Amino acid sequence: MTDDHNGSPQPPGERRQSYEAAAARIEEIIRRLDSGEASLDETLGLLGEGKALIELCASELTAVGDALEELRLDELVSRLEQEAGG
Amino acid sequence: MPPLPVPPACAGIPDSDLAGPFPVGEYAAALRKKLRSFARVQLVGELVNLRPSRARVYFELRDPTGAIACAAWRADWEAIVARAGGAPAEGMQVVVAGGCDYYPGSATSSPGFSFAVIDLRIAGEGDLLARIDRLRKQLDAEGLLESQKRLARPLLPRTIGVITGEGGKARDDVLAALARRGWAGRLVWGFAPVQDRHAAPAIVRALGDLAAVAEVDVVIVARGGGSLADLLCFCDETLCRTVALLGVPVIASVGHHTDRTLLDDVAAVSCSTPTHAAEAAVGVDCRRARSEQAAAAARLRDHGRRAVLSRAQVLARLSRAPAAHLDRQRARLHQQLREIRAGSRRRVESERSLSARRAVVLRRKAESALLDCRERRPRELQRLALGLAGHDPQRTLERGYVLVQSAGGDPIVTAAAARRSREQLRLRFADGVLPARLDER
Repeated sequence: MTDDHNGSPQPPGERRQSYEAAAARIEEIIRRLDSGEASLDETLGLLGEGKALIELCASELTAVGDALEELRLDELVSRLEQEAGG
Repeated sequence: MPPLPVPPACAGIPDSDLAGPFPVGEYAAALRKKLRSFARVQLVGELVNLRPSRARVYFELRDPTGAIACAAWRADWEAIVARAGGAPAEGMQVVVAGGCDYYPGSATSSPGFSFAVIDLRIAGEGDLLARIDRLRKQLDAEGLLESQKRLARPLLPRTIGVITGEGGKARDDVLAALARRGWAGRLVWGFAPVQDRHAAPAIVRALGDLAAVAEVDVVIVARGGGSLADLLCFCDETLCRTVALLGVPVIASVGHHTDRTLLDDVAAVSCSTPTHAAEAAVGVDCRRARSEQAAAAARLRDHGRRAVLSRAQVLARLSRAPAAHLDRQRARLHQQLREIRAGSRRRVESERSLSARRAVVLRRKAESALLDCRERRPRELQRLALGLAGHDPQRTLERGYVLVQSAGGDPIVTAAAARRSREQLRLRFADGVLPARLDER
């Protein structure tokens, strides 16, 4: 049996921008800024984009960092059925 | 409890041709005797509904056309387990040896038929593996082994579904691994049996329910190790096809390192333990990711500050540039002026020194010339005068010589010249001139 810990997941897309895409873009932005080749306009644009992406990543990490919520599937299904019915 | 009184003999059913009525206990005993007289045989079928009890182990033997209840004494069962190297389990194809038996029951216990098993052999494990392999090839041919692997798998899922046995250790392992990752999102437990013939349908149901919940990003199916028979439900064709067609990625962690079920082949990721499955589900260490994000935010702030500051410094430098340029030029001019002055001084000194040297030379020359005028030249003049006086004809005349001249005063040096001159000659003496005429007679 083999493990696969280094798969390269794709962005899940529709529901929200993925954490991995945002994290990768932040690294790209920092590399560009580190190069010192960006103009002032580009730098300001990249800073704005990077700030928004960091906020996104922070919100994703916050969503899985506050408190573990454990649900039983049967309870969740019942709840969803009630919500759908009501 | 006191024994029930034996009922008195009673009449049978009127107009019935059948013998009796007989006391049921006698009939039951006779039935047992009759069944036990049947030849002992071997039966083959799938072992299901295994129910161990204190004294005996009960199960059923089934095949597609029928079933029969079986029972083995505990001692016989333990010997079978020892010989097989493990307990026969639900779903296994087994061969049993024994014969028909009947428990006649009693006033307080129910009767029952069973095939009394005295030996058992796990049969067809090779056949089972071959069947699983055929199914694997079939799923592969249909492309079902790859469909899960093509699904997008989020690095940081918010909601994870976990299908496992409710009381199993896998649950604790998953929780511990997620805690180590610093992950505390939403966990939906789909508890289901994970071994026996009820397991696969229950797992299929749980998978369907979890996949129907839009928030579920990934599903883990976890179970600890076991025999091939224990893990047989994870080779179920319906289960595998269901997983292959799910839109949510499934991470399988079934059995130990050496076990390989069809679910492992079909799933998006196959892990050796529930711990690894949880780590695969959450691809980032959330604590480290938080600190990395904080560091990235700090770097961005630093870049922003530096971007503005460096350009402000450039602007300030540029604004100071003209003044600095003037200062530089002024300093340069001053330097050039100093150099010119110093050069001029050096030149004047040099010229002065040269002039002084020339003056000395001129003075020496003048002195030398003066000396010439005063001393050397008179001496020379005198010497010349003396020399000249030595050549004076007067001196020669004074020594007694006579100079013959023509009448015009030109000297006549030769006799031929004197003969040719028919004129009067002049004889010049030291003290005067006398006229003369040549007479050659």
